[in-house]
Amino acid sequence: MPATRWVDLAGQAIFHTLVAALVIEALVRLWRVRDPRQRLAFRLFVLCYPLLVLPLVVLLAPERVGEDFREARALFSSRRWDDMRFLGYGLRHWWVGVFGGMGLALFLMDLVPLLLGRRGGLPRGAPPISPQGQAAAAALGEVARSMGLKPPRLVFVEEGGPVLFCAGARTTSLVVSRAAVDLLDAKELRAALAHELAHLDRLDPGLSWLLMAGRALMAANPAFQVVARAMARDAEWRADERAAAATGDRLALASGLLKLFRATEGRPAPPGRRNLPLAAALAEPIARARALDIETRCRRLLGPAPAPLSHGAARLLAAAASVSALLFFVV
Amino acid sequence: MTAIGATRLERPAQGMARALGTLVLVMGAAAAALATLDAVPAWVQGEPRGVRKAASVEEAERRLKARLFLPAYFPDTLRWPPRTVRLVVEDTASVALSFDGQDGVPALVLAQTVGGPGPISPLVLPEGPPLQSSPLAVGDGEGTLSRVVGEDGSIWHEVAWTKSGARFALRGKVPVETLVRMARSAHREGR
Repeated sequence: MPATRWVDLAGQAIFHTLVAALVIEALVRLWRVRDPRQRLAFRLFVLCYPLLVLPLVVLLAPERVGEDFREARALFSSRRWDDMRFLGYGLRHWWVGVFGGMGLALFLMDLVPLLLGRRGGLPRGAPPISPQGQAAAAALGEVARSMGLKPPRLVFVEEGGPVLFCAGARTTSLVVSRAAVDLLDAKELRAALAHELAHLDRLDPGLSWLLMAGRALMAANPAFQVVARAMARDAEWRADERAAAATGDRLALASGLLKLFRATEGRPAPPGRRNLPLAAALAEPIARARALDIETRCRRLLGPAPAPLSHGAARLLAAAASVSALLFFVV
Repeated sequence: MTAIGATRLERPAQGMARALGTLVLVMGAAAAALATLDAVPAWVQGEPRGVRKAASVEEAERRLKARLFLPAYFPDTLRWPPRTVRLVVEDTASVALSFDGQDGVPALVLAQTVGGPGPISPLVLPEGPPLQSSPLAVGDGEGTLSRVVGEDGSIWHEVAWTKSGARFALRGKVPVETLVRMARSAHREGR
């Protein structure tokens, strides 16, 4: 396949995802889609577009690549931008290169910490014989029963700082540390466990790996990376809502979230020399974004549960059909 | 039906109508933004919409999936490669190659149709009433030799002819003999 064709396909995948993401985001805001399940469904369409819809369109409508279609029927032809050149290359080539680089940077920003964090594997658990361990096991059993779920394997960690998370795609586990049980009161612990159980019930750990695989396939697609991140936030919000509904205490979940955040990532960085140049400049925006995420989740939990939008499926179908039809004429 | 019942029935319908209106508005805005982005390169380059520029003769051939006719005779007074290669893709595509003289001044345009005998698009070769026209034999076919107003406002010569189902025009500020010799030497390169 000639290089021009590759640039065509890469440019279309990047540009189509960008347009689809902007249109869907505008609709999510204008229609006030607040239910996290519905937000996830809308954003899932954006991710499916470059992975499924665009390849189908390319296969089923080969006439779109012809000059006749580009000149007479296309609403937007990216090749026109190649008529303007800079340093010997058309602007479309520059555009694909710059956006591809941005996408790769966004992907690596999440991939590298993930791989570094997995080097040690899951923490080694201890039998929950201490009072904190027994309290965690009892709370987990109680919350799981109230949610109608089978309790997962509890990995209780006696040492270290406060941690509370779920893991495992095939065999699921819930990791709780003694410090986390000490930090949270009984209500907060139940709410936090319910949040993690909600993740496990929706198979979120496995799905997050699937999402990461999609991100790897679309590593050079910045809109895909941004929407995938937004979906991860929506999945957190969905688990929050499920936990709040199960425990009936939205404030306890918000309070537990804040305590865990402050005890872990919310701490200011220790003073001293940094080995990595510009580490502070890079770390600060990321830390600020994480703090903003927690703040947003807590604010949502302070309000009532969001009502689902009426005719959500019909709206999603109409939006997906309209975006696909529009992008058919973008080459 | 009571008035309250009628209002309750209207509300979902109104909600859906509003949602549909929002969808139409957003899609319309997206389409307008895309059309504007599509038109930007033409605005920036001062070209009419529909005219495309190719970086080279080879790129134009690649886009049109056809070989162009080029003159085997090319005088030393003109610069090669062409300064611009402009094309219009319609039912019958038109291509115009513009050449400068060795002094850097526009001196010659070779325009031709690709894929049919239709007229050469005025977007690549502006039409102007010939000031004077006479028949001329070009190879086996008939053509015309005309005097027209060139792009710089002065009088240029033009040789127009049809060959192998395509229409050609050579318009230049060069001696008539040169134009005719170039026209008679035009052939599709078997590169």
